[in-house]
Amino acid sequence: MDYQSMLSWALPIGVGVAAFGSALGIGRAVGSAMEAMGRQPEAAGKIQTAMIVGAAFIEALTLYALLVFIMLQGKIGG
Amino acid sequence: MNQREMKTELDLSFILRTLKTTGVVLLIGAAFGLYYLGPWPSLAFLSGGTWGMVNLIFITGLVRVTIRPEGVDTQKALGWAIIKFPLLYGAGYFLLKVPQFEPLHLLAGFSLLLLIIVLKVVGRAILGLDEKQQQNQNFGQV
Repeated sequence: MDYQSMLSWALPIGVGVAAFGSALGIGRAVGSAMEAMGRQPEAAGKIQTAMIVGAAFIEALTLYALLVFIMLQGKIGG
Repeated sequence: MNQREMKTELDLSFILRTLKTTGVVLLIGAAFGLYYLGPWPSLAFLSGGTWGMVNLIFITGLVRVTIRPEGVDTQKALGWAIIKFPLLYGAGYFLLKVPQFEPLHLLAGFSLLLLIIVLKVVGRAILGLDEKQQQNQNFGQV
């Protein structure tokens, strides 16, 4: 298997894995945030802030993967 | 303003302060980039950073209307989601397709926001600001 074939397999799989990981991460974070807010509604502001920061970082991971995909996409062509 | 509202405002002000700091650092970085690298890399860095800041504003809006004790405000959540996902990501795709913009410069601008968040949190941890705040609150209660 040559370099281009490997790249054409690896790129979509990589983006898929990153998206799946991010989805799991966001899901867990939201679930935990809701649980914490249910226990302590007065701490809602702090939990929201932590959630926003966490969501920004998780989203950045997917965007990095997508950007690497776009940067390397041009090297796949036959 | 009651105590709960004040607390919420205080907490969410972290995001506002982060956005302000990012804006200032972005402008300084763009000025240096303009001098050392030229107009296109500087503009790409500025665009990436601005996109990241707008993205954080949308995330904040979305989280504030969906993850809250009162329950989801469906109309507002839909409004934020409809603006954020197609429009903001469309703008990001457009930025990536501008031939003069290097993806790495866009990425550097976008990452600046995350770097500032990390540095702010590390700074708070090193200076022990959270412990001091907690001590002041405890002292106030006594």
